[in-house]
Amino acid sequence: MKTLILAVAIRILLPLFILFSLYILLRGHNHPGGGFIGGLICAIGFIFHTMAHGPGHTIASFFCICIYVQPRQTGQNKLSHLLRLLSANVVNRKKLKGNATYTLKLLQVDPLFIIASGLFFAASSGVAGLLLQQPYMTAYWADFYLPVFGKPGTPILFDFGVYLLVLGVILKITFVMAEE
Amino acid sequence: MIQLLLVLPLLVPLYGAILCLFCWRKLQVQMAIGVVTQLGLLTSSIFLLQVVNKQGIVTTQVGNWPAPFGITLVADLFSCLMLVVSAVVGVSVFLFSLRGLDVKRMDFGYYPLLLLLQLGVSGVCLTGDIFNLFVWFEVLLICCFVLIALGGKKNQLEGAIKYVTINFLASGFLLTGTGIVYGLLGSLNLAELALLVRSAEAHPSLVTLAAMFFLVALGIKAAIFPLFFWLPASYHTPPIPISAFIAGLITKVGVYALVRLFTLVFVLELELMLPILTYVAGFTMVIGVLGAASQVDFRRILAFHIISQIGYMIMGLALYTPLALAGCIYFVVHNILVKTNLFLISGVVAHRHRTFALRKLGGIYLKQPTLALLFIISAFSLAGIPPLSGFWGKFMLAKAGFETGSYGIVATSLGVSLLTIFSMTKIWNEVFWKKKPETTEDEIETKVEKYENRLLHLPVVFLVLFILVLGLGAESFIQFTLKAADQLLNTDIYINAVLKDVK
Repeated sequence: MKTLILAVAIRILLPLFILFSLYILLRGHNHPGGGFIGGLICAIGFIFHTMAHGPGHTIASFFCICIYVQPRQTGQNKLSHLLRLLSANVVNRKKLKGNATYTLKLLQVDPLFIIASGLFFAASSGVAGLLLQQPYMTAYWADFYLPVFGKPGTPILFDFGVYLLVLGVILKITFVMAEE
Repeated sequence: MIQLLLVLPLLVPLYGAILCLFCWRKLQVQMAIGVVTQLGLLTSSIFLLQVVNKQGIVTTQVGNWPAPFGITLVADLFSCLMLVVSAVVGVSVFLFSLRGLDVKRMDFGYYPLLLLLQLGVSGVCLTGDIFNLFVWFEVLLICCFVLIALGGKKNQLEGAIKYVTINFLASGFLLTGTGIVYGLLGSLNLAELALLVRSAEAHPSLVTLAAMFFLVALGIKAAIFPLFFWLPASYHTPPIPISAFIAGLITKVGVYALVRLFTLVFVLELELMLPILTYVAGFTMVIGVLGAASQVDFRRILAFHIISQIGYMIMGLALYTPLALAGCIYFVVHNILVKTNLFLISGVVAHRHRTFALRKLGGIYLKQPTLALLFIISAFSLAGIPPLSGFWGKFMLAKAGFETGSYGIVATSLGVSLLTIFSMTKIWNEVFWKKKPETTEDEIETKVEKYENRLLHLPVVFLVLFILVLGLGAESFIQFTLKAADQLLNTDIYINAVLKDVK
């Protein structure tokens, strides 16, 4: 579907969708909202983007990480090579532009990865209780308030996991169906 | 410690599945994760069984909210036995699928799905909450749907559609029943429900109405008479490891839920329920075994036998004495092992000869005598030849039947046993004994194939060992099941274990 209005508008709306979904996620503990509906709202933004620009463009703009890679030199072990790449990509990334020894590579983030990490966060949020000799999923709260965020605790980790899981599932479905 | 042990059968497969998802494209890594997870699940269930055997029923409240409000996980002997047996079956099916499943299906997430399915099974066995029971059944069924349809062959999709349609209907009934129970009694916790149902305010007829919904819903899932027709239509379509796991285990999970609910919660108007269950049990046995007698496909015969065996388990529930329930538990354990094993054997045969049709098979006794021996142990065990495991299960059930004077159902069950022998002999004659038909050309086995075939024997031998132990060590195991049945019938122990914090 090619409509110019939607294509332009969604670029402005997408950050709003994401912000609003995070707001819904955070208020969810005591009010209507939470991880499930937050994840859905976030996914709606990306669905609109896919409708306006096609799945390829959405994946390229939001679900790809550009990293600089360099083949491992002889005599360099794997760990130091990895550390070198990490520092090149994180610390002095700006300087690398135009550096001929590094090549640019796109690393695609599969929605499946988002699903798996969501499940991981949700399942692990309960393990804190187990470690402290309490039943699984016992909630632990910090004593302080963060501005905007509220009181941090393990249930928000669970909600965040659900958020990622829902987002990942919807994105996977969207991309697969849009490609067909 | 207890808190950890009770959630481990859930957490181990869940984390295994998550790790498998992270390594989606690396099959070797998924296999390695699978090995660790299966062994972890087996050890954690055995530990739990030991603890429960020593301390009685153990509980934990997930989220640390007190019992009728929080999510309760309960483990008694019956549920622990189910956990251990399903873990054993999981290990053997996993071993089988390493060589017995095509790479294409593995690529589409076979391993994470299998682990999530096991998560669902553990959940059903451990939950102490009627709504969570429904949720775990959904987890389990959704994985089953995908596994049955995995690969997308035409007959698989046909089987999957039948399976999905009828099981969604069942889930609808299950949810309706849960809703009625909640509306009537205002609780979802099984232990509190058990208390409320026995109090004076409960309306026996309305509770029985809810019980009927549960009977129909779980009856569809367990494939009892008139609700079994989806099973033979779908269980023979997926590849062997999948159908072995689903056919061996999933219907029995339905039986487990039936036994749990009808001993704990729906105990009103038993004089109405038990005759219904008795008739259902009798018809299930007869129809299943007659269906099997008319089939000419290795797997279809086995699929129909599942139905017939479910009848025996329901018979144990219908007789409703400690001995009968012990027989039911024994039979569930025995049947899960034997049925999975027979399916795996049919898989070994089909891996070599590329067919399940009895007509095209033959002469395996000459070529693979070990396999023939393994088959005959499992088949005799299924038919109930002493001293193998099936005999003891049937013996306990028949004895319980005579004690309560239900001669009709005992006669039916013994007659059905004879017919079971008939079907097993049919497979034996056709697949193992008769000469290989001339029309089919003899495939020449390469060295790799020979090696693979040897490897496929491993899970079968593993299960046969368990079957032999179950049959030869019957004395101690029968004592064990009697203890489990005692726990089922003395609901006060269960209620006190769950609601101890409230009182």
